Amino acid sequence: MPNNTITHDVIVVGAGLAGTWAAMVAAREGVKDIGVLSKIHPLRSHSGAAQGGIAASLSNTRPVAGTGPRGPLEQIPPGEEPVDSPDLHMFDTIKGSDWLGDQDAIRILVDDAADVVYEYEHMGCVFSRTPDGRINQRRFGGHSAPRACFAADWTGHVLLHTIHEQALRNNVKFYAEWYVMNLIIEDNICRGVVAMDVLTGEVHTLRAKAVMFGTGGYGRAFKITSNAFANTGDGVAIAYDAGAPLMDMEFVQFHPTGLYRHGILMSEACRGEGGYLINNKGERFMEKYAPDKMELAPRDLVSRSEQTEINEGRGVMEDGQGIFLDMRHLGREKILSRLPQVREIAINFVGVDPIDAPVPIQPTAHYSMGGIPTTVDGQVIANAAGDPVVGFYAAGECAAVSVHGANRLGTNSLLEASVFGRRAGYAIAEFVKGGAQLYPVSGDPAERQRQRIKSLLDRDGDELVEHIAQDLKSTMTDNCGVFRDEDRLKVAMSDIKELQERFKHARTMDKGRHFNTDLLATLEAEHLLTFSEVIVAGALARTESRGAHSRTDFPKRDDEDWLKHTVAHKTDDGPKLSYKPVSIDWEKYPPQERKY
Amino acid sequence: MFDFIFKRETPEAIKKGNKAIVRIQRFNPEVDEKPYMEEFEVPMTPDTTVLDALHHIKTEQDGSVTFRRSCRHAICGSCAMNINGSNDLACHRPLSESLDYHGKITIKPLPFQPIIKDLVVDRTTFWAQYMKIKPWLIPPDDIPEKEFRMSPEEVEALHNAETCIMCGACYSSCQVVGLNKEYIGPHALLKSFLRTADPRDSIPGERLEIVDGDNGVYRCHTIFNCIDACPKNLNPTEAIETLRKLAQKRLAYEEAREERQKTLNEPIREA
Repeated sequence: MPNNTITHDVIVVGAGLAGTWAAMVAAREGVKDIGVLSKIHPLRSHSGAAQGGIAASLSNTRPVAGTGPRGPLEQIPPGEEPVDSPDLHMFDTIKGSDWLGDQDAIRILVDDAADVVYEYEHMGCVFSRTPDGRINQRRFGGHSAPRACFAADWTGHVLLHTIHEQALRNNVKFYAEWYVMNLIIEDNICRGVVAMDVLTGEVHTLRAKAVMFGTGGYGRAFKITSNAFANTGDGVAIAYDAGAPLMDMEFVQFHPTGLYRHGILMSEACRGEGGYLINNKGERFMEKYAPDKMELAPRDLVSRSEQTEINEGRGVMEDGQGIFLDMRHLGREKILSRLPQVREIAINFVGVDPIDAPVPIQPTAHYSMGGIPTTVDGQVIANAAGDPVVGFYAAGECAAVSVHGANRLGTNSLLEASVFGRRAGYAIAEFVKGGAQLYPVSGDPAERQRQRIKSLLDRDGDELVEHIAQDLKSTMTDNCGVFRDEDRLKVAMSDIKELQERFKHARTMDKGRHFNTDLLATLEAEHLLTFSEVIVAGALARTESRGAHSRTDFPKRDDEDWLKHTVAHKTDDGPKLSYKPVSIDWEKYPPQERKY
Repeated sequence: MFDFIFKRETPEAIKKGNKAIVRIQRFNPEVDEKPYMEEFEVPMTPDTTVLDALHHIKTEQDGSVTFRRSCRHAICGSCAMNINGSNDLACHRPLSESLDYHGKITIKPLPFQPIIKDLVVDRTTFWAQYMKIKPWLIPPDDIPEKEFRMSPEEVEALHNAETCIMCGACYSSCQVVGLNKEYIGPHALLKSFLRTADPRDSIPGERLEIVDGDNGVYRCHTIFNCIDACPKNLNPTEAIETLRKLAQKRLAYEEAREERQKTLNEPIREA
């Protein structure tokens, strides 16, 4: 066996909610030897940036009688009729997904929701409460009942810290600041990963009976994004390079309220609590686009409405590229108690206090609906026929199980990462305890990655990696953004090809070994270039508009031809696309027109 | 000896406010014997944050300038560093408001921890202390089908501690930590307070014993540096003071907790 080999029963990559849940559950189920690798410290994971809430149909609150569906909320007295149910949650999620979500997976998502939220609560998560001590719930876009369980506007933060603490309690071993570079799959069996210890710069082969990816989304491929620096879709690109397919990559959610120019998230809770969206004429323009749900229509629809206002000259700010998010009427007290983080962000980054003035916002790349296709137990699927990649699991934003289909509803992502991370944990524990083997690895995969690093560092071209990354982000935002068409997508595709060529000569400035974050940025840029091509290929092929994928040249949804998942495999000639049917209960939830 | 204050002329662009000079403490143990300061000139708009400036330097000027960062909106806790002599998050701090009258900002790594490279420090002792206080909640055995009931007031009392992002700004501002790495430190004591004060936790006595030791709450000299340093405006000193008081009546506090937990599955009765 080559040097620097580490073995574990289970290796989890990514320490956000999905990965940590899987590790914690597998440990609790008796798997002793688990290593969790994360390129940043686990508590820095982007799950912690989620703000508004986690969905579960607990029926703890309802609108005050006689105030209508948008009236103020109160706790539901014990014994009175519930306003919400898993079925209603299911319908909202399916409709939100524009019928591209797999209904077998959505069934599990909504049925497990209450249980997973209560488990968080039992583990110490500090939720906001109703007067009688239940978990408080607020409204969120696309949900037809107050369903978002929340902890002020830092829900993801408290969930992440809670689950991380419980993983520590269960003796899970964390490798903080280890960067996974390669996934080892031979004969359709996953055997481990190759990772760099960022501190020392040493590259190691880590073998395991099971590998689980909870590596997060790919929003960093866009110029304006709510995503952290870390969200470069590494796991998605690595899995694709190793031969696993990617599904529905063209579906990228643009959140309606990114802070103007920064892209930083202003929680949907701003609108959930009653905030307005205003154009430069002072109009609440959502009444034109979604007269019923208004600002609480789903995100794809609101972002398109904003972009339409902007494109037609009704945007705000000097360049007309903004929209106002007006929360002044909510009052000081509500903003301070329910939206404290949002207020702090607005003050710090654009110098606006939402108590006194409207906040400039714009659509921002936010969530990756697509990813590595899995079963409802996190098992990665190798092909359209449904064969498994033995020993390889994925959950959370890097995976496509797919509950979000063409558009995710707010608060369903924390839920998805938790429900399917937890399920993957149970499945992995069963797999390992059922006698899974540690398969041999042929050759020295770590040495291949050392050579890759060496060749990257040896390059001495004129161009900096960052400029290539910036050009990629610009073309993705301009040509593969809220609105798309064939011409622009073709521009994006040719730009990406050209950038991939330019990357071959790009220069990494830091040539050192230890803690070389410049090298990490280079590897990340390579990953961005890899999966961006898959996004654009899927978007070009899909000649319809569905959910977050909006083609101005094909403005209608086309169920006849396109009610199916895109599946992309890597080939020497670029992504090879095939298609997979959507799981639909034709009796109960057949496709309908999507109106709000 | 104060010549350096007066000697350098301020460039026009900096006077006009669209450029700034960033002084960064550099140290790469692979090549440097000791840390030194290096200056970089960066473009500046009113929107530019300190992190934007660092990012500009790293991607356009010198890729070897090394720092941690991720979320860029003050929730992940990666980018705590020493800015103009006090600890803060680089991401939420406007550059233009951090300059002296020469248009300069000075950035160093968090104090009292070994330097790995430039602004990156080795947080081993920081996390070891976090582990020492057992940061996880231990709920009672009797788990209800639904949620434990907590009043909004009980939740509000935890607010000071629950929003801690473990950035380490407080830890590296604490002179006691500077002298004694065995001290649990403000970050971990704040977390201990979060667990101890939570009505759902069933080992408050054990927690109070942990923080009651030699290197616990009595090591705090109430210098209040942690309060000044906290980028989330939290108050670790207050939490430490509360833990001190509770530690002195540990048995009574344990009894009160047992009593409270008897009704943890029942609705809160409104006053």
